[in-house]
Amino acid sequence: MARRKVILIASATLALAALGWYLAAAQVDTASGDAGAGGGTAINPTGAAAAAASAANATGGRGPFSAAGLQARQEQLALWRGRYERSEQVYASYRDATRYPHTSRPISEHPDQVRPFDPVSEEKVLRNAKGDAVKGLRLRTTQERVFLSGAETVKFTIEALDDAGQAQPMVVTSAAAQSLPETRTPVALIQTGVEFSDRGTGADEVANDGKYSARLHPAQQGFAGYAGTIRLLAQVSVKGEAGVAHFDVVYTPEVPATWAGVREALEAGALNFYLKVNVVRPGRYVASARVDDAHGVPFALLQFNDEVAAGAREFKLTLFGALVRDRSPAFPLRLRDVDGFLLIPDTFPDRAMMARQSGVVHTSASYAIDRFSPAEWSSEERERYLAEYSRDAETARAQLQRLQGP
Amino acid sequence: MRQGFRGFSWLRSPRAVMAALAAALVCIAGGVYATNYSLWINGRTGGGQPGNHADFTYWGPSSTAAGVNKISVNWDGYNRISDQNYRIRDALDCYCTGTNWCYVAAHSAGNLQIGYALSLYGSTARYKKNATPSSAGVCGNTDGSTQTGWNIKWVDVAAGAAGGSELADVGSWAVSDPLTADLKTSTARAMYDHNQTRAKWFYMYAGAKGTLYSAVLPGQDDEAVAYHSAGGVSGSGGAGFCNPSDWFCNDLKLGTAANEGGRAKWAYHSVIFRDDTESFNHYTNGNWGGVVSKVRADMAANAN
Repeated sequence: MARRKVILIASATLALAALGWYLAAAQVDTASGDAGAGGGTAINPTGAAAAAASAANATGGRGPFSAAGLQARQEQLALWRGRYERSEQVYASYRDATRYPHTSRPISEHPDQVRPFDPVSEEKVLRNAKGDAVKGLRLRTTQERVFLSGAETVKFTIEALDDAGQAQPMVVTSAAAQSLPETRTPVALIQTGVEFSDRGTGADEVANDGKYSARLHPAQQGFAGYAGTIRLLAQVSVKGEAGVAHFDVVYTPEVPATWAGVREALEAGALNFYLKVNVVRPGRYVASARVDDAHGVPFALLQFNDEVAAGAREFKLTLFGALVRDRSPAFPLRLRDVDGFLLIPDTFPDRAMMARQSGVVHTSASYAIDRFSPAEWSSEERERYLAEYSRDAETARAQLQRLQGP
Repeated sequence: MRQGFRGFSWLRSPRAVMAALAAALVCIAGGVYATNYSLWINGRTGGGQPGNHADFTYWGPSSTAAGVNKISVNWDGYNRISDQNYRIRDALDCYCTGTNWCYVAAHSAGNLQIGYALSLYGSTARYKKNATPSSAGVCGNTDGSTQTGWNIKWVDVAAGAAGGSELADVGSWAVSDPLTADLKTSTARAMYDHNQTRAKWFYMYAGAKGTLYSAVLPGQDDEAVAYHSAGGVSGSGGAGFCNPSDWFCNDLKLGTAANEGGRAKWAYHSVIFRDDTESFNHYTNGNWGGVVSKVRADMAANAN
């Protein structure tokens, strides 16, 4: 019996020692926080507070009411005040944001997703073939899309500007597109000429406006069996200065699925749009669509991200009830600008695009607002986050209160 | 008698005591005890050994404080975001599932990595892992159950390249690594919906000590990325944003406010540090340098 007690006591001691060591190790890395030196404008002062707190901690052994002790207390106060403010902000922000699910959001939250099919427009300094900047001249370029598949095409434009934004005469002297090798192993390049023109024909809409346009048809121009980046370099001449415009697109010949219509259903207080899809290649699909109200005002962004089997399937896009109740959009709603792709993990290209559905693809029925549920989103993920964020805020509040004293 | 004292009556049973101790040790060994971690995601060029979560070569001395239980999420900094992103997801699975939670710090292209993971994989089912990585940076399952997404408290970003860099256009970077093509502004910005962070905050730290490429990088820059990217500005690249002292350029606003000229930031992105004195460049210099020093300080103070 005595021997058993000794074993028990020894085991308990060992376990408690292990637990103590484990907890101490977890804390050791935060005990010596300090701040980076230097200027700038910051809106979170907790880094500096931590530095001071750390310095004060290093003076351990002084009395709590000595000058150093009081300073250390003030620094700890500043540190925990910062932590408390951040944890409160994080908690409140998450709570408010997740009133709606992550896949059914006010579109104001996604400012660059409102018009997803607008050309990507950029303005950059004119650079010569060596990459050096040519002073005083800029190129404004557009490209219709970055990712494309199958028979899709992409339009490019180039125009020259001075620093004041005034159009400058420009000529595209030559342009070519080629595959971009992704490996260090030599591979055969695919190359094709591309014709930019300002004659008001083909891809060019207005003759002689100084804006040169071209359209690339990867499937018809030698890239039908290629998946990867196609780089288009256009040599330009602006006021006697030679330069280059540079475009990249990512192409895959495969079209993994095709669209087959839309249906809607008001279910459990939310409006679900079911995008019908014929899936050729199963896998994880990512899709999004915009919802405008009856006046054409952008209202919501709906997203889909899930595994889908091959065959006739549906992507379910949910317009969350509380979002409708909170914003009261005018019905009927219009579902527009739908895009989607197969997400292919751990490789490049990481996606095979479905054809874009540009413009309005579906108009909803009209529903009374009280048919939508006012309930906020509920999920295990949300509860998990709110519990943790709440714990953090409460810990910081209690620590702050303790430091502030009675 | 108070309930608390009666609660220890099981101590009289040796078998129960042994069982409780065994359970406690299993919990400790298996990482069941709730633990916070600080994950550091490197940028271009890498330097640390991929999969080795203890190798801080990219950042600086590993003895430097950089948040609780710091982990170096090494990816190669050379290949495409998409084909290296598994390294980030593996680390998030390891340390940010089950009862464990993470703070994340990212530098430069590491911003693209964490943004890509959250936007495209943040809603996926993740196995709960035991925080004990193999040499490949992969951890074992705890109980075989899954959860939706990862447990991430917030993300600090130094010199974020999620908006790309004009230096990725032809000519500025002599090498043509696959990653450089991802860093082209149009490509980086089209890669995923940068607003979809699943309501986790990205705290942005933007440096401005750039001179070498000031003719190429618009507005203020840290010698590798411009404010439009480091400040989490939405929309197309190529736009110049500056410190308030520059009267001829729109201001990058602190916090979540839209910038001067009206361009919004991505959702849940807040500019915490703007380098008004042009003191911080892009580079860690193997010693937690440049604007990374500001993020390191914040992690040391607040990732607890």
